[in-house]
Amino acid sequence: MKIGFFVTCLVDLMRPRIGFAAIRLLEAAGCTVEVPMTQTCCGQPGYNSGDRASARALAFKVLEEFEAFDYVVAPSGSCAGMIRVHYPDLFRDEPALLARIQALGARTFELTDFLVNVAKLEGVPGRFDGTVTYHDSCAGLRELGVQDQPRALLARTGAELREMTESTTCCGFGGTFSIKFGDISARLADDKCVNACATGAEAIVGGDLGCLLNIEGRLRRRGDETTRVLHVAEVLAGEDGQPARREP
Amino acid sequence: MEVASPRFKARAAHKLADPALQKALTRVKIKFVPARAQAAADFGDFEALREAGRAIRDRALADLDLWLERFEREATARGAVVHWARDAAEANAIVLAIARENGVRKAAKSKSMVSEECALNDALEGAGIEVIETDLGEYILQLNHEPPSHIVAPVIHKNKEEIADLFEEKHHRPRQTGIAELCREAREILRPHFLSADMGISGANFVVAETGSTVILTNEGNGRLVTTLPRIHVAITGIEKVVPTLEDLSVLLRLLPRSATGQTITNYVSVNTGTRGEGESDGPQQFHIILLDNGRTRVLHSELREMLACIRCGACMNHCPVYQAVGGHAYGWVYPGPMGAILTPLYVGLENALDLPHAATLCGQCSAVCPVKIPLPDLMRKLREQQVERRLRPAAERRGLKLWAWVARHPRLYALGTRLAVRYLRWLADETGRIRVLGLAPEWTSGRDFPAPEPRTFRERWQAGERPGAQPGARP
Amino acid sequence: MNARELILGRVCAALNRDAAADAAARRGVDAHLDARAVGPQPAVTDDLVETFMQCAAALSSTVERVASADEVPARVAAWLQAHGLPAQAVGWTGPAALDWAAAGIALEVRPPRADDLAGITGAFCAIADTGTLMLLSGADTPAAASLLPETHVAVVPRARLVAHMEDAWRLLRAEAGRLPRAVNFVSGPSRTADIEQTVTLGAHGPYRVHVVLVG
Repeated sequence: MKIGFFVTCLVDLMRPRIGFAAIRLLEAAGCTVEVPMTQTCCGQPGYNSGDRASARALAFKVLEEFEAFDYVVAPSGSCAGMIRVHYPDLFRDEPALLARIQALGARTFELTDFLVNVAKLEGVPGRFDGTVTYHDSCAGLRELGVQDQPRALLARTGAELREMTESTTCCGFGGTFSIKFGDISARLADDKCVNACATGAEAIVGGDLGCLLNIEGRLRRRGDETTRVLHVAEVLAGEDGQPARREP
Repeated sequence: MEVASPRFKARAAHKLADPALQKALTRVKIKFVPARAQAAADFGDFEALREAGRAIRDRALADLDLWLERFEREATARGAVVHWARDAAEANAIVLAIARENGVRKAAKSKSMVSEECALNDALEGAGIEVIETDLGEYILQLNHEPPSHIVAPVIHKNKEEIADLFEEKHHRPRQTGIAELCREAREILRPHFLSADMGISGANFVVAETGSTVILTNEGNGRLVTTLPRIHVAITGIEKVVPTLEDLSVLLRLLPRSATGQTITNYVSVNTGTRGEGESDGPQQFHIILLDNGRTRVLHSELREMLACIRCGACMNHCPVYQAVGGHAYGWVYPGPMGAILTPLYVGLENALDLPHAATLCGQCSAVCPVKIPLPDLMRKLREQQVERRLRPAAERRGLKLWAWVARHPRLYALGTRLAVRYLRWLADETGRIRVLGLAPEWTSGRDFPAPEPRTFRERWQAGERPGAQPGARP
Repeated sequence: MNARELILGRVCAALNRDAAADAAARRGVDAHLDARAVGPQPAVTDDLVETFMQCAAALSSTVERVASADEVPARVAAWLQAHGLPAQAVGWTGPAALDWAAAGIALEVRPPRADDLAGITGAFCAIADTGTLMLLSGADTPAAASLLPETHVAVVPRARLVAHMEDAWRLLRAEAGRLPRAVNFVSGPSRTADIEQTVTLGAHGPYRVHVVLVG
């Protein structure tokens, strides 16, 4: 299986190790992974800000970059959801392109969804001998049905999952929402931190870096210096910054 | 009602800092959310019910003109008078004319969001007619000269102590503090008004084309009283509320209370058809039904038509994290929460509610619980697009978006930009790897740190040949 | 152009109506009205009585069963007494045919007044699925009797129990042909949760609803 890996703009900019971890997992599942170097962003910031023209231009760019692969995988439910669920809306009046976009969307997956349901990954490279709580990011959950997949994979690392209350409630990130309505956004992040910390878990794990930066940012501002905030790929690949935990 | 929506941000900040309100708002999560979840689970295939509800609303909207004509014919045949109002002013003028013709001095009202849209109370009071809100929540608000903050639980923002103070001040009775005692007091105060009102005013949750009936759902019984006792009943509702048959109505009656409060049925469902019959001792002698447009035909004609399927249950606001945090008053008009983020700009003008379509994280929880499956986040996004098309967004935002999109289409430039951004952000970060103040996004760092990026972008490392499993920093 | 024509004109414009589309739409509307398709319903067991009693109790009605109508006045008298309520009531013509005086209840058949303490009514039918009474207004069945008094007692024959609301509509169409001025579905005592979302019984209508199921 030839995978076109969609790094996502946030992982590229902020947390490259998540990208490497995700590729390691895909390779562990027997996939051949390529990373098209001209990729930038899926266009969601423009789309959600009402700038259809910009979003469409970037969607077309993604189409050309990724159309040749068997699958497109992103370490983000938000970006994968943009491609699969929202791209068709951008081409609704262009039948020829719409068919290509829909075909691309049908082959586009969020990482854990792909590992469980397409690649059928059995063992995961990482070990995590601690407690985690999982935050369900909105787009992955409600647009792509990502909920059981990351939990099933996490269980294979040896991690003990402690569910927080309202794990499916938005953390308040919302892309540009977080910088337009900072006080509301921070308040929602605060609720998320309270719920997550109440589990006593060592790490808050999620599948979307935007949410994780939001949660981590609020956690540190609250003075919590110890609770770790990790992308699910980091935990699964054993690349959570504690290499001793990785199985040889 | 005055439109305060342009001040959403400031109002929201004020609400976030109000401890009493914050305590009150926890009841949305504690009461409504689990109640709806339980009711949906108990029903069995609630998804099929939602699909059926949506299909009925779509059916009604697809032939709205014919259903309305049919409704008018049936209602008229039963002695009701059907009035059509283009806007709020016309609706108010119709009610006033009816009141004048019949020498009405007092009107008793049951809860009606459409009448809030019209500011009907102000119009009637301006003409010297006494108006009494009789829904307990609306009555409390009327005493305190406040608008509702929720479409189903209008006074959810208040606690019982505030209400006790208000009753003591306005009723001149000894202060009660128990909720049951406060309810009893309101009952005793309001009962004489039902008996002495010349006119009863209600909304209509639905109107039924097949029978020419108006339907109201209430728990308190005030809706029954205002439609049973006064000699004149005026029902005011939007043209979109029509449903074809009683069977269709039955489906929506299953959806609405379950979605709103988790009830299987509201205490009273009243289906009113025509005027008092031969030999009857109660029921109005005149029944006026006002069908209000007020922007609805414009919405029907637009890409936001789906919003007219709304049955006003309030589930979207109950489940909205933003509503749960700031409450209904922040939204600044009649309809709060996700429905308000869409209805307000549609009905009062896009330019008068610029923030509202953006005041949501697009988390999708609202559409996940909407009984008629309205894709509310998609509709908010369409309004955002309309704002961009009409150049209503701030110039800096427009320029920023264009610049971002342009750079993102030029990978080399983009790569350079991200390299520089990483260096800059790391320069801003303190020794613990976090940024306390981010000039580019001050709203982020007002309540959160911004974690610093890793030293090099993914692209830099990948292009340098780094692959998974290699030692960090190792180069081939 | 008056408001009616203007609004309907705007609706037609929004729906792209032309003569051909209009004719087809009218046929579609008629077909929909004729079909009266029934949507998804909650499952109810065959035992409608049990379902009704459970659902009515869940909404704070009280329900008791009696074998025959003759027993009703005495049982209602006992219930009133047990709740410390006076043995007087305003009532509908139907239940008034029973011998209430023998049970010590002063039942008056007249238009209800605000100071009536109890209202005794029948019901057109009762709906098991939600524990609901379906009351029709009429010359002998004033709507206020189930609304103004603090206590509402309804006498319902077992044979008038149906599963769902759609069954009630069918029964109404068959027996009355058209809707009365008011169809009131009553599901327990009036209530409000407006203050702190705390349910309180007895808002503007009855504080208690007692259903006597006969047969």
